[in-house]
Amino acid sequence: MLKIMIIEDDPAIREELTLLLKNEGYTPLAITEFTDIPGQAARERPDLILLDIGLPGRDGFSLCGALRKAAPSPVIFVTSRDAGADEVRALSLGGDDYITKPYSVPVLLARIKAVLRRGGGGSEQTDLLEAGGLRLSLTKGVVSSGEKAVELSRNELQILAGLMVHTGQIVSRADLIDALWDNQIYIDDNTLSVNMTRLRGKLAEIGLPDAIRTRRGMGYQL
Amino acid sequence: MTLREFLSDRLGRIALWMICAGLAAVFLCATGTQPGILAILLIVFLMVFLTVNLFDFFQQRARLLELKSILDGLDRKYLFTECVPQPKGLYERRLFDLVRRAGRAMNGAVSDARASQREYREYVERWVHEIKAPITASRLICRELDGDIRRKLTAELSQIEAHVERALFYARAENPEQDCLFRQIELGKIAAQAIENHRSLLIQNGIRVETENMNCAVYTDEKWAVFILGQLLQNAARYRGPEPVITLSARPLGRQTRLTVHDNGIGIPAHELPRVFERGFTGSNGRIRGGSTGMGLYLCRKLAVFLELELHMVSQEGAGTTVTLTFPAKENLTKP
Repeated sequence: MLKIMIIEDDPAIREELTLLLKNEGYTPLAITEFTDIPGQAARERPDLILLDIGLPGRDGFSLCGALRKAAPSPVIFVTSRDAGADEVRALSLGGDDYITKPYSVPVLLARIKAVLRRGGGGSEQTDLLEAGGLRLSLTKGVVSSGEKAVELSRNELQILAGLMVHTGQIVSRADLIDALWDNQIYIDDNTLSVNMTRLRGKLAEIGLPDAIRTRRGMGYQL
Repeated sequence: MTLREFLSDRLGRIALWMICAGLAAVFLCATGTQPGILAILLIVFLMVFLTVNLFDFFQQRARLLELKSILDGLDRKYLFTECVPQPKGLYERRLFDLVRRAGRAMNGAVSDARASQREYREYVERWVHEIKAPITASRLICRELDGDIRRKLTAELSQIEAHVERALFYARAENPEQDCLFRQIELGKIAAQAIENHRSLLIQNGIRVETENMNCAVYTDEKWAVFILGQLLQNAARYRGPEPVITLSARPLGRQTRLTVHDNGIGIPAHELPRVFERGFTGSNGRIRGGSTGMGLYLCRKLAVFLELELHMVSQEGAGTTVTLTFPAKENLTKP
């Protein structure tokens, strides 16, 4: 499990972040003692550090340099300061990314994933999703069942991936639209319906016409 | 100062001299001075009197012109008293002293006002940064909630954020050079960020966003451009029509880049269009739909001027609104 160190002085954010990261399958490590943070980092050797800039005592900028020396962990600045100069400063001090509060949760998670992957220590993101007799290749955009395969459009791929990640669960239309927006596909309800129809058509081509079930008033289920 | 003004100013004094001269003439006449001598005396007196007064007139006029040209030549007029020549005579010195004291009092008042404005701006910025912590915490807490309630609360939080954001940029727009950082950036990144910032508003209003050809690079300040675009997206969402679609498209225009933001919303009445960038102008749409502050577009124009963006809006009532943002070529920017 990947260890993520949270250096954040606001207790509410700290707690919620800890909970969020735990749910996402990381091992969060929240700092509550703001003395000798580099020493704590050196002992714990986290895979990633989330660093607030406005801390009691030493600010995040000066801390970053010390952290870099103490541990090889990548650092993501998470701050409510959003002047352009701060961002440049943070990145020039060796920060790997810079996120401004208030961030949306999907964005935060995506950035964490990206930095971990860049660092090489990240979880090997599988390109292949398998569920309900379907195999979906995310990079190729091809879904297959047995010997038959069919190519998907960008929208269809994201919709199917969203359903396959939550196999067996009901995924609401709103959640699907939300997930698509995460991937910079900005569609509305009607477009989702159109894409869903096309996706079902393609699944029928490879012999699985009823793979996606409509749960009236609730959403879709694979 | 004209001769007439001068004379009317001195009317009392001239009359007094004339009466004195008349009385002296009567007196001399009564004491037996010959009329011939009296005439010569009166003529000489008149000549001297005229000369003295004319001399005074020209001297005063020249002095006033000199002072006026000094004032006209000054960039900061309030420094006038520091730049005047040596006072001529006691009276002028006293006058200059008085003006100088008035000027100092004014300088003090102005610098006090400046200081309090700066403090207020700093407070607003600090406040904005502080309020972001509880908003962030609320967003994280929201995640644990049920789907529908989560979405509603998230939308409300986004509204709060949008208001906070406007307050921050309003404070910043007073001294834009402090926060500006011109860099080369892809237009697509600016658009993605702006859309991300307002996603719950856009999703909740069932809006489809289409982007075309957004891989052009522009040279601008990312945050400010994101803010401007965000205001346009919010307006498009607020004044949406049925089946709302927002289209963002970019195309190069010589060395410049033009970004077009088109919506198929309710549009703006033609007679209100020239006023939409005015501070506090809400228009009939704003009154009908509510929630309009009259600040968004005002700030957009203000920031656009600083970023040297050309900002234009055309609209047709019932058909939609198109805003074009023209980003300058890098070499045409006057700012670093």
